[in-house]
Amino acid sequence: MPFARLLKIGAALMAVGAVAVGARQGQRYYKKNLADPRSGEAVYRAECQRCHGSMGQGVAGNSDEPLVGEKSIPFLAKYIAREMPEDDPGALSLAEATASAEYIHQAFYSAEARARNNPPRLELAHLTERQYRESMTDLLGAFRRGSGVTEAGGLVGVYRESLGNDNTKGKKSFNERRDAVIDFDFGKGAPEKGTNAQEFSISWAGSLLVPDTGEYDFRVTTPNGARLYVNPPNRGSTEERRESGGENATIDLWVSSGMVRAGQGKAFLLGGRSYPLRVEFFKFKDKTASLKLEWRPPGGAWTVIPTENLAPQASARVDVISVPMPPDDASMGYERGVSVSREWTEAVAKGALQAAALLAPRLHEYAGTTATAADRPAKLKTFILRFAQLAYRRPLTEVQQAEILKVFTPGITEEVATKRAILHILSSPYFLYPATGVQDDYAVAARLALVMWDSLPDDILTQAAAQGALRTPEQVRTHAARMQKDPRAKAKLRDFLHHWLHVEEGSEVAKDQLAYPGFDQGLVMDLRTSLDRFTESVVWSPASDYRQLLLSDTILMNERLAQFYGQKLPEGHGYRPVKMDAEQRAGVLTHPYVLATFSYTKSTSPIHRGVFVTRNILGRMLKPPPMAIAFMDDKFDPSFTMREKVTELTAKPACQSCHVTINPLGFSFERFDAVGRVRETDNAKPVNAASEYTAADGSVLVLKGARDVALHAAESAAGQTGFVRNLFQSLVKQSTAAYSPALLEQLTNRFRQDQLNVRNLALEVAVVAALGAPPPPITVAPQR
Amino acid sequence: MSLHSRRHFLRNLGLSAAALPLLGGLTSLGAAEPVASRQRIIFVFSPNGTVPTEFWPEGEGSNFKLKRILQPLAPFKDRMLTLKGVNNFVRGDGDSHMRGMSCLLTGIELFPGNIMGGGGQPAGWASGPSIDQEIRKFLQANPATKTRMGSLELGVAVGNRADPWTRWSYVGANQPVAPISNPYDLFDKLYGQMKESESMVSVLDGLRSDLATVARSVDAKDRALLDQHTTALRELERNMKEQQTAVVLQVPAAPAVGVMLENDNIPVITKLQTDLLVSAFQNDLARVSTFQFTNSVGGARMKWIGIEEGHHALSHDPDLNTGSLEKLTKINVWFAEQIAYLAKRLQETPEPSGQGSMLDHTTIVWTNELGKGNSHALEDIPWVLIGGGLGFKTSRALKFGKVAHNRLHLALAHGFGHKLETFGNPALCKGGPLALS
Repeated sequence: MPFARLLKIGAALMAVGAVAVGARQGQRYYKKNLADPRSGEAVYRAECQRCHGSMGQGVAGNSDEPLVGEKSIPFLAKYIAREMPEDDPGALSLAEATASAEYIHQAFYSAEARARNNPPRLELAHLTERQYRESMTDLLGAFRRGSGVTEAGGLVGVYRESLGNDNTKGKKSFNERRDAVIDFDFGKGAPEKGTNAQEFSISWAGSLLVPDTGEYDFRVTTPNGARLYVNPPNRGSTEERRESGGENATIDLWVSSGMVRAGQGKAFLLGGRSYPLRVEFFKFKDKTASLKLEWRPPGGAWTVIPTENLAPQASARVDVISVPMPPDDASMGYERGVSVSREWTEAVAKGALQAAALLAPRLHEYAGTTATAADRPAKLKTFILRFAQLAYRRPLTEVQQAEILKVFTPGITEEVATKRAILHILSSPYFLYPATGVQDDYAVAARLALVMWDSLPDDILTQAAAQGALRTPEQVRTHAARMQKDPRAKAKLRDFLHHWLHVEEGSEVAKDQLAYPGFDQGLVMDLRTSLDRFTESVVWSPASDYRQLLLSDTILMNERLAQFYGQKLPEGHGYRPVKMDAEQRAGVLTHPYVLATFSYTKSTSPIHRGVFVTRNILGRMLKPPPMAIAFMDDKFDPSFTMREKVTELTAKPACQSCHVTINPLGFSFERFDAVGRVRETDNAKPVNAASEYTAADGSVLVLKGARDVALHAAESAAGQTGFVRNLFQSLVKQSTAAYSPALLEQLTNRFRQDQLNVRNLALEVAVVAALGAPPPPITVAPQR
Repeated sequence: MSLHSRRHFLRNLGLSAAALPLLGGLTSLGAAEPVASRQRIIFVFSPNGTVPTEFWPEGEGSNFKLKRILQPLAPFKDRMLTLKGVNNFVRGDGDSHMRGMSCLLTGIELFPGNIMGGGGQPAGWASGPSIDQEIRKFLQANPATKTRMGSLELGVAVGNRADPWTRWSYVGANQPVAPISNPYDLFDKLYGQMKESESMVSVLDGLRSDLATVARSVDAKDRALLDQHTTALRELERNMKEQQTAVVLQVPAAPAVGVMLENDNIPVITKLQTDLLVSAFQNDLARVSTFQFTNSVGGARMKWIGIEEGHHALSHDPDLNTGSLEKLTKINVWFAEQIAYLAKRLQETPEPSGQGSMLDHTTIVWTNELGKGNSHALEDIPWVLIGGGLGFKTSRALKFGKVAHNRLHLALAHGFGHKLETFGNPALCKGGPLALS
């Protein structure tokens, strides 16, 4: 049982049992005044152990939660003196309380003690959901020709005189141009002057650039004929043969019916990749012509697909495994594959079946054979072994080869055998538990690919492993730097940034429309784009400066955001940096998306903001609240400000053990309302954003507002250490202490020496994770 | 590759333990249930009109003689009804072939649209559901008649386009249903999940062996995770075995690989599709089906009966061209033979739900988008009904006086107990269901 809960019980006892306690005071008084106080351990054994266990582990049915935490010894001492033992609080002298606090702290309570008693180790883990999907996509894509694109900027449209309803016959094109978005209303007219307004056709081709992983909805609206293809098979491939009838179309509205129709389709897509996209359109004697192409990203709102998500160059099809998977364990604050359920095993089986189905029409092509060739069985086996080698991330042992090829037996056709071999490989622990077995260069390559991409090693990395060229930190760092230029590295860091700032939670933010008219889903999506672009522009700028993330005084805004937030937008297009009040604003912490995420629908929430800053920005530990208390706005004195309400709500000692940290941090943001606008009053009283905050090292800071919190996070060892730990755990899926107790400090020191460069920090994290050992201390100036 | 050398396609295999559903969603499959007598219907389409002089039987009522085109169906003469004078009166946008096809089962006008035919105004999809889908909806709404798929829309060599010539089954206005013309796709749809389970089970031993090897190389504390994994695989396997007892499906062998979807393989594909359809009905996966040979204006080249020209081109030749007429007759005889094969398969398969053969519980409705090819007439559409289950009095050649085909659809629906008052265009339903019982 945590202290907080004990406090709750203690307080209750004090309230109802004051008489009883008083009656027993004489007996305790005697002990309290012993000239020679007992040792800390003796006090613990005599007074605490019966409820807390011999090593603070707790006693079932009594105090069943372990005594662990990060409070300082003076805090614990004061607390024990006042509240313990539970049945007789105040029985210990301050000296004895202090002695017992010291003993508890060094024996099992503190992080150091815990690390010493139960050293964290590198735990075996299966692929997380993200690692699984990324690995599967790269594995299935390894045999494809063609590549992805990253240069955004609309689609190329080819305008033709008319193809009627048969788009297989060529007609002369009269124009070819770049269209920024697909949102046209031609009315009764033609797309170009002097061309036939009755009959014309347009086909657009290019790529869709997808920021985040998830299910995307698409919508085409037109009174004419239109088809949308999202991620169809490559042109001219065997899979494409059946496409002209619209069989691979995501949306098929080819036949019109004298009215405007909207068709919807969906696709599960992985973020950070580009997908082929085509739109075919024609008008034949319909009264009018128009066409709109929209999407709804995961958790977002319907919007015309923006220019920055369209690219004129066509990329290769990407095979995505879309089977739903049970969520990974996130109890440590980051996803880990540390439990296996039947649901997970079944999802993996389904994923393997989906992969086999995706491969089936291309098997002969990939194996370099044909349905009737004499060498077909041999070629299929060769393909299967190559496939397994990629999936297992290393050359196969003879045992592995034999196990995989077992399915090729006389009674079974080669199709079925190949399919079964694929199912075996993709369900095998060699694929699902990377870097088990021999700890050689291939294991290093496997870990490096995971930490950089959440995926499989590429050819270059595998070759380096084969040559034994992944032995030193320098060698590994060089590969990591190369791999960091790949879009997959960018996608993974974006994933971390989302995790760090709880971006996914924000997509469900909704505000009271009376209190905040105009703050709708579309605006939320714009804010999210604004935040994403800001964080990514900082991380991928040359300096990649952590402090910039926290201290920037600009916010990226488009027209809609500028209007809502009452800002003057500088000249330009799309999202532009708007300079805000530097006294108030501080990077991500005061970005309206973050502020709105950690607010109620009608009011701010200093508690949510404070908890977020405590955990995610300052890297401090908070236990779950001892009791669930709903924030009931109408239960307070109607004249109260939010700060006054929170102060009253959390006044109990049980609450204060954590809220002494949470509240001052949360109050610092009170100058921002629930949608992140600056305000001067709350409930007709002036806002008070000043507070005193006791840092993890015990020092007391006077905070005037949000910017002081950000300065503390940016400049202090506490904030920087918290960031390093967050980044490390998110990228590696293991705790830093599992490598060495000193790793966190070593990495943080290196981070500081390196001007707090986030990208370089990610490289150092990768080196540690890949080699499985802490980095040597920096002796020379870091590479830039 | 010789198509005739293939092994007999439908080799009924008793379902092995391995073939059971791994992935859920199949629990209601064929589970033994107290069965009311099943009723089924199959609409078969062949294109380009018939040759009336060689099609319509001589005589009327129960005293009639089959002519050349219906000769292959002679074994089923006492299970047969031919309906003359049942016309497609739907007018409006679209040419005769388009309306002939897309109004055939819907009995309702096409939307104005952007698809231009050989005459008239450009048109779009039909503006209402088709009778097969209406019956499907009716059967699916009742737990006693609900099946896993409800209906199956099959095709053979259907044109690789989606337009009013290639679609005759509609869920509703603007909602055509694409037929499955690929027997491999059809097999996957019907039995894919079961085959997948079988494959998955076959690799479990290999996985256990892999897990054991990996377990030897990891820290003792980590073995718990691998133990969980082994346990989860065992649960998966047990789950499949438990379902084994609940499932009594007859799963046919998968179609042999390598049948290309091309003109010359139409006979092979037809047989594959027919056998899969019978198997699906036998397993009660559906009770309604459409079976579409090519499409309206279909141009199959029946080289296997010595005809090089495309069907549609021939159908435009004048009646005086006796050579073409002979070929058109042969083409229609070939279609009749395919229907005879379907009827024979149904007749020789005992009805799983009870008495008699499956043909006793299944009505085949063979029809066409036109009465006659070279006139593009929508009058005297060739309607042939074979089989039982709907309470019609068979072994008759009926002649009606220009009645709307909507009334036939009403009669079919009523045969299923679905007492519709109108179907399609209400103005074409006057007089109510045709009296067929």
